[in-house]
Amino acid sequence: MTEMPNYPEVLQWAVPLFVAAILAELLWIVIKHRGGRYETRDALTSLILGAGSVAEGIVLGFVTWGFLMALWAITPLDLGHSIWAILLFFLLDDLRYYWVHRFGHRIRWVWASHVNHHSSQHYNLTTALRQTWTGTFTMMMIVRAPLILLGFHPALVLFVGGLNLIYQFWIHTEAIGKMPRWFEAVMNTPSHHRVHHGRNARYLDANYAGVFIIWDKMFGTFVPELDSEKPDYGLVQNIGTFNPIRAVFHEWVSLFRDVSQPGLSPRQRLGYAFGPPGYSHDGSRDTSLGIKAKHLARNPQDRGTPGFSDELPPASDRLHAQP
Amino acid sequence: MPLQILLTLVIGGIAAIAMLLHMLGKSALLALDTNSAKEAWLRHFPDDTVQDLLVAGDGHAALVLTDRGPGLLWSFGADTVARHLRDFTYLDGDTRQTIRFSDYGAPRVCLRLTATERQRWQTLMRGT
Repeated sequence: MTEMPNYPEVLQWAVPLFVAAILAELLWIVIKHRGGRYETRDALTSLILGAGSVAEGIVLGFVTWGFLMALWAITPLDLGHSIWAILLFFLLDDLRYYWVHRFGHRIRWVWASHVNHHSSQHYNLTTALRQTWTGTFTMMMIVRAPLILLGFHPALVLFVGGLNLIYQFWIHTEAIGKMPRWFEAVMNTPSHHRVHHGRNARYLDANYAGVFIIWDKMFGTFVPELDSEKPDYGLVQNIGTFNPIRAVFHEWVSLFRDVSQPGLSPRQRLGYAFGPPGYSHDGSRDTSLGIKAKHLARNPQDRGTPGFSDELPPASDRLHAQP
Repeated sequence: MPLQILLTLVIGGIAAIAMLLHMLGKSALLALDTNSAKEAWLRHFPDDTVQDLLVAGDGHAALVLTDRGPGLLWSFGADTVARHLRDFTYLDGDTRQTIRFSDYGAPRVCLRLTATERQRWQTLMRGT
């Protein structure tokens, strides 16, 4: 096994860049009167959540680190730290990110952590920093296990994870329209990621990519940003608080309230915890599939257009889990 | 990076951005009128049919009567938030009224209704 490598703490070094880029975006919006919106308390909440997320990483990082190092101790493989190993890992880790992110939107337990990244009705560079404080509790570090067992060192995992997050910072903006066609074809861009933050029925559960948009195209979750439909940012049910604690924990509180209601079967309780967001035992809420089906009932001409596949069931058959 | 420098950058950066935004007038509450309130409600609840709508005199809230019962729309920074009026408590006051929801993500809304508005809103909020 190689010695403990010493990778730079890229996220910390990126902090001055984040501040400068936010000021530049704000200046651009003020001067040009286009390219996005800012609101004081919304931005403040996002920035506090960003700082809190870093603090959470410092306080609870030992859990993930300990888990990864335990795996590293048992694997006989070591791919080293060559530039090729780093590039290969960057690609594979981005695939891992795609699936964790997809789980984050399809499994309520993981959504409860990720939701606060989507809880702003704005889309600007501060939104990029609106990160979770509860990621450790989702146990999604498990998805990193195969990469460690394949011989990638845990320090490389954290280094590349930081690079992935830094890449995603600049795509949280309305100030950039579309990038050159070749770039839009391969990379995640502001346009692709605006779709991901849209609460429009068309844009729900789309564009989970971190760095490379190719994963969405491979796994059938890619939806292009349409000139005819601007993304409407935020949650299907937007929160009404700027309190960072409430923004971080609101979905966890809802989840535990739902799971602990009296009179539910064990399967229903599991549905509230690990089913898709919007699951309800009595059909009183809509999952994203239900929302899309209802939209198609109101707008049948949209069937078959991006975001509304032909396979979507009619609204009357929409997928509420059965009691 | 030394922790002291990192903390200074983070705290200083957050404070500077927040102060700049406030000085640029980005703290103003959204003002609603009948049309924008109806549009905002349907943005939150596209399946609803809006039957009637009362915008508060200060323009920061609207009582919306829909086919699914009454609801409250309110200014939330530069945006809006909406909830149907189910499982809520209304606390009356001469100059300020509070609606508390059983919702950790939207715990309370403060209204500033005139005496006339208060009476009418209270009746309609009960769905009668």
